[in-house]
Amino acid sequence: MTALAAPARALPARARNRYLAGLLTGRGLTGLALVGTVALAGLLAPLLTGQDPDAQGPLALAGPSAAHPFGTDDLGRDLFSRVLHGITTDLALILSAVPVGALAGCSLALLAAGHRWADTAVQRVFDLVLAFPGLILALAVTAVLGPGRWPVFIVIALAEIPLFGRQLRSGILVQREREYALAARVGGASQRRVLLRHVLPNAVDPLIVQAAVALSVGVFIEGAMSFLGLGVRPPEPTLGSILSQSVGYLATRPTFAAAPLAATTALVLGFTLIAEALNRGIRR
Amino acid sequence: MRTFLLKRLPSALLVLLLASFLVFLILRLIPGDPATSLAGPDAGPAAVSAIRAQLGLDRPLFGQYLHWLGQLLTGDLGPSYAIGGQVADLITDGLGATAQLTAAALLLVVLIALPLGVLGATARRRPVGAAVRAFTTAVLAVPPFVTGVLLVLLFAVTLGLLPAGGHESLLDAPDLALQYLLLPAVCLALPSAAVLARYLTDGIERALAEDYVRTATAVGVSRRRIVWRHALPNALPSAVTVLGLQIGHLVAGAVLVERIFAWPGLGQLVEQGVLRRDYPVVQDLLLLIVAVYVTVQLLTDLVYAWLDPRIRWE
Repeated sequence: MTALAAPARALPARARNRYLAGLLTGRGLTGLALVGTVALAGLLAPLLTGQDPDAQGPLALAGPSAAHPFGTDDLGRDLFSRVLHGITTDLALILSAVPVGALAGCSLALLAAGHRWADTAVQRVFDLVLAFPGLILALAVTAVLGPGRWPVFIVIALAEIPLFGRQLRSGILVQREREYALAARVGGASQRRVLLRHVLPNAVDPLIVQAAVALSVGVFIEGAMSFLGLGVRPPEPTLGSILSQSVGYLATRPTFAAAPLAATTALVLGFTLIAEALNRGIRR
Repeated sequence: MRTFLLKRLPSALLVLLLASFLVFLILRLIPGDPATSLAGPDAGPAAVSAIRAQLGLDRPLFGQYLHWLGQLLTGDLGPSYAIGGQVADLITDGLGATAQLTAAALLLVVLIALPLGVLGATARRRPVGAAVRAFTTAVLAVPPFVTGVLLVLLFAVTLGLLPAGGHESLLDAPDLALQYLLLPAVCLALPSAAVLARYLTDGIERALAEDYVRTATAVGVSRRRIVWRHALPNALPSAVTVLGLQIGHLVAGAVLVERIFAWPGLGQLVEQGVLRRDYPVVQDLLLLIVAVYVTVQLLTDLVYAWLDPRIRWE
């Protein structure tokens, strides 16, 4: 039994190297640098700025100055502080919601793997959620709960479930027919053991790539919900809400949009580059 | 074609019926009683129950559902709870503008994706091919609201070529209306065009590897003719399926893009419906999006069968 389990246990170390090899390319490093810079700015928000992001001042729509490095918004609030705190809100939402969705999606895929009828049922549900635009999900959730932080969390998590579930399912279907899985079954391992100890570790690769994609989808969903007025409630800043606020002033005060635009773009491009780098790494 | 429709129509209608039931149930999960909030804080129990009776909320759940189905079939959707006016009027007010934006975007998707898709396949090893790939990757990575703001900053604020936002009737001032339409339509079209272009590139590349292409090359058919007359038609059926899927996303995307360009479509109603807990409005909007989606799928199947002679109408 131990002899059969050995290859599965040896794999993660090699896999880690492949992830690293992927990340240590121009693409991967650029992605890491983009996400790292934005995340660091968000994390250090309390140190970098002493201003309350929600405090309104007399100077509305001011340009960049020493007191307000990014200028102020339409209510005279400091944009530097709002963007930094917006990054924190976005990252906190995404980094908590994506793992919940990933865990739920993977659990469903694993649970369904053993039974033909459960597999069909879960697949139908995944197809349905994927086929319909995310707007329907966002509308339904916010109609029941009202707009706010939790609905955004729930929409992100729900949207990620089928993405991870389908990815893991196709991995399981391929790996389950490989000879090492067959060997484990012949060796007397139970179905559950084959699935969890042998098949699952070998089906993880695409999920890691999916995770990077999922994070950029999270930024997307938060922003879209803010633009529709269904996102985190004001005055709490998010990247999407600051950007949607700035849209009314693009002609008169283009600097208003600059910082939230740059931060959002850096995050989504960064996550996309990391996903591509990881994908290339595991394909080598 | 009639037999084909007769076979597909029942399942489409069943999906719609199921969706309507789901939408109805989900909106009954809303905490609180709409009658109480409509009556206001000072209303007595008699006033609340009068409102409840007026809205039909005192009926059993299934009765309410049947009543709603009846409303949908007659087109008389009843009054809205909080926004004011008839739901049918509120929806038709915004629907025209949203449909206009979606249709314009759909046209642009095809116009952008066809040349990009062909270029991606034929110029694969040249810088042009790499540029096409980089473009589609970037467009897909960046959310439409970022693209939209960038488009406004570039074409409206910096270059001053097009208006930053707004809307004009196509009948009253066609040239002005097109100026207002262009930026939002491009913003909406880009991600779907990128998806379609990738599928086209893939399909054309696969077709170019087939034996009949080698035969055509051998008998001296020009490269251009091979690509446009032989490879492209073979890549089209699956591209149509992708385009069909994208139309659903275009409608949903339109609601988002409208908010960037001050386009007077359904976006406003979506926000108001949710914020003011107007559930007849939200319920009908949700079902409308599903209905558009299901109809488009049906049409896509028809076009696919028409494009691909291997699929029989029976």
